[in-house]
Amino acid sequence: MPERRVAITGLGVVTSAGVGIESLWQAMLEGRSAVRTISRFDPAKFPCHVAGELADDFSARDFVPKDYRKAVKVMARDIEIAVAAADQAFRDSGLATAGTGGQGVAIPSERLGCNIGAGLICSDLDELGAAIHTAVTDGKFDIRKWGAVGMNNLTPLWLLKYLPNMLSCHVTIIHQAKGPSNTITCGDASGHLTVGEAARLVARGEADAVVAGGAESKLNPMGLLRQNLLRRLCTSRNDAPGAACRPFDAQAAGTVIGEGGGLLILEAMEHAQARRAKIYAEVAGFGAACHPDGIDVLQATDGGLNLAAAKAVADAGIQAKDVGGIVAHGTAVPAEDRCETEAWHKALGGAAVVEKIPATALTGVVGSLFAGAGGVELAVAAMMLHTGIVPPTVNFQAPAGGGGLNLSAQARPAKLRYVASAAFGIGGQSAACVLKKYEP
Amino acid sequence: MTGKRVVITGMGTINPLGHDVESTWAALLAGRSGISKTELFDASTYPTTFSAQVKSFDLAAWLPNAERHRHAGRHCRFALAAAAQAWKQAGLERDGSLDRSRLGLYLGSGEGSLDFDHFTSLSVDSWRDGRMDATVWAELAFQRMDLNREVEQESNMVVAHLAAEFGVRGPAFNVLTACAASTQALGEAARQVRRGDVDVVLSGGAHSMIHPYGMTGFNRLTALSVRNDQIPTASRPFDLTRDGFVLGEGASVLVLEDETRARRRGAKVLAEIIGYGASADAFRITDQDSQGAGAAAAMRAALADAGVGPADIDYISAHGTGTKQNDQVETRAVKAVFGAHAAKVPISSVKSMLGHLIAAAGATELITCVLAIRDQVLPPTMNLNVPDPDCDLDYVPNAARKAKVETCLSNSFGFGGQNNTLIIRRCS
Repeated sequence: MPERRVAITGLGVVTSAGVGIESLWQAMLEGRSAVRTISRFDPAKFPCHVAGELADDFSARDFVPKDYRKAVKVMARDIEIAVAAADQAFRDSGLATAGTGGQGVAIPSERLGCNIGAGLICSDLDELGAAIHTAVTDGKFDIRKWGAVGMNNLTPLWLLKYLPNMLSCHVTIIHQAKGPSNTITCGDASGHLTVGEAARLVARGEADAVVAGGAESKLNPMGLLRQNLLRRLCTSRNDAPGAACRPFDAQAAGTVIGEGGGLLILEAMEHAQARRAKIYAEVAGFGAACHPDGIDVLQATDGGLNLAAAKAVADAGIQAKDVGGIVAHGTAVPAEDRCETEAWHKALGGAAVVEKIPATALTGVVGSLFAGAGGVELAVAAMMLHTGIVPPTVNFQAPAGGGGLNLSAQARPAKLRYVASAAFGIGGQSAACVLKKYEP
Repeated sequence: MTGKRVVITGMGTINPLGHDVESTWAALLAGRSGISKTELFDASTYPTTFSAQVKSFDLAAWLPNAERHRHAGRHCRFALAAAAQAWKQAGLERDGSLDRSRLGLYLGSGEGSLDFDHFTSLSVDSWRDGRMDATVWAELAFQRMDLNREVEQESNMVVAHLAAEFGVRGPAFNVLTACAASTQALGEAARQVRRGDVDVVLSGGAHSMIHPYGMTGFNRLTALSVRNDQIPTASRPFDLTRDGFVLGEGASVLVLEDETRARRRGAKVLAEIIGYGASADAFRITDQDSQGAGAAAAMRAALADAGVGPADIDYISAHGTGTKQNDQVETRAVKAVFGAHAAKVPISSVKSMLGHLIAAAGATELITCVLAIRDQVLPPTMNLNVPDPDCDLDYVPNAARKAKVETCLSNSFGFGGQNNTLIIRRCS
């Protein structure tokens, strides 16, 4: 049985550049960074003070039906981002769901799937701290007091705020998506993995549409601490937040944390065409890999990205020379950028080939989005195919150590037919997707 | 169903009843309980003072180079040992033809536990005027917190350790769909083999939430049994007096392989995975759909995928958590899917003995299905003494039972409404 073609018909993006793909796309085209000084808590005693923090007034309340607003109280920030991104993606797609008020073309609940990548969600330190504070004896935490009284100061639903599958669960409830539902937790590779898996659900006919991608916010003291301990953050540009995150740039000095997520509506091509949907691009290929060195977390590794990208190209039924554009992961950690560059060279047949392919990276605008990265990167790839523009790489001025990717500080028009995007993360997993320009 | 056939060629487990497949199986058939007073931390004043803990476990007994994994969290160590058993049983260490880029990982592993003592002391010591002072917190955190202890909490680190141990270079996934995670992982892993993405995949799950905040979370949800006066018999799936599940921990890993490849290299084939179904309740984050529509949809999808009907199923390994709601809903869902046949299919819940291994539960239960087929015997649902009028099927109460078992269906339903069902059968 031939597999079905898979169209991308909706883009839902939430980043520090704003809500909606247009705000991110505009920021990229204008070369404008949306990294700023952290305001959610006082970062003074952390080495890095800057992040891709969402707008101060961001709340999932603005993106859920009225009768679902009280559920926002049990959503960690990661969940709120996913919920907002899903709302944007469905509205953009023109598919009618329970969550978008029924405007558009209906899709049966049983044929609608969901697969949202997530990270390790951090408990709110004030919320947990307030309860812990009621279980202290002589200045020390007292676990017997905690068991007897302290824990009762936590809301009964406390655990559910922090389960990574709750990103998917809230989205399935809001949009009444009753088809297959999954949650992938593989660090930065999560977004590409979910999109790859979701595309296969659609291709083999288990769903007609799937909302897929990822969301995460590590913008809390624990997240900032952990990335600092991993020595991945830029600590030298606290006075110039917009210039802090510089993927593949000679002056790169580490990444910055970004909050955000991207969800795509993947839809059976025949279904999308029948309803005359706007089709951004087609999912043509997928590949994944890992690297055994991933347990050494202080040693940069590409997580087998060369294999993942090569598989995605082969899965698309094309050759490396057919790849017309690249959305790189570009964490702006110099050693990681070097690994990534080499991986692209290996995957696509050498530096000479890769240096001809216009590429972009978006961390200069929004920071590192972790499980949220892949969905956003793929939304950008889809926009590139849709508009024929390769957006600038913000903060890229001069290539680090001999270069190797074809990046530019300027927007470039390009005749794009295939765009490859890949990601890799701490722990050593990687994944790649090849998107294709929509051709009826 | 199209594509390659997928078979199981190796299995391993670390759980509250045993540190390998055979001892676990013997304990389950004997109806033994793995539940006891919580020793991993002082839970004496918690609403629930007991759990199903893995006892006297030492990774060095399973891996010659355990030192390499010195940073691995508790559940990750369980996973490494379970995977080592499965790897050995499958004969993969002698398999010179195994292409590591076509060897995959698809796990349903939980997060690692918080560095509780440091995390909590930080919280106490940085508390100022009714809230956490981020500057004090940061100063203390950099003195007290350890890099590896923090990073190992990310749930993909179990995948990382297994990749390192077995030299995996193929696709690597971790899914975390709560209590359904390892069933979902196995189903998706089978899809990868079926599609030809990989030749062999290590799949299963690992989890331990038996730590102060894990128990807190479930106690606050009132999901746990509080039968502190009858600890060994506290887990009572389908019994009228059931009052919640018992939190367990452990890991189970299976080797899934392309059937043709397994035959070619002369591997012993333990069973075939023939069907997988997934669905979402899309109902509430706190409750299951009371009619079990989501659970039924997963079972139906798995039956359709396998190309078999209800009458072909000889045994159902229930999700059977022992909460009021799950067991009632699952019973309704089985009736909805199996119709008149529902009363004839034996169903049991090994959670009555093992407790609920959360992300690791489904893989552990699938292993019991493979063994039921091998030995033609069904594990019992223990502690089922008072019938519940809402749970009126054949739950194999209190004693293992000889039976003709060719095809088994295994259910897992996650908190938040992600449902997964697997179907396996004897491989002819």
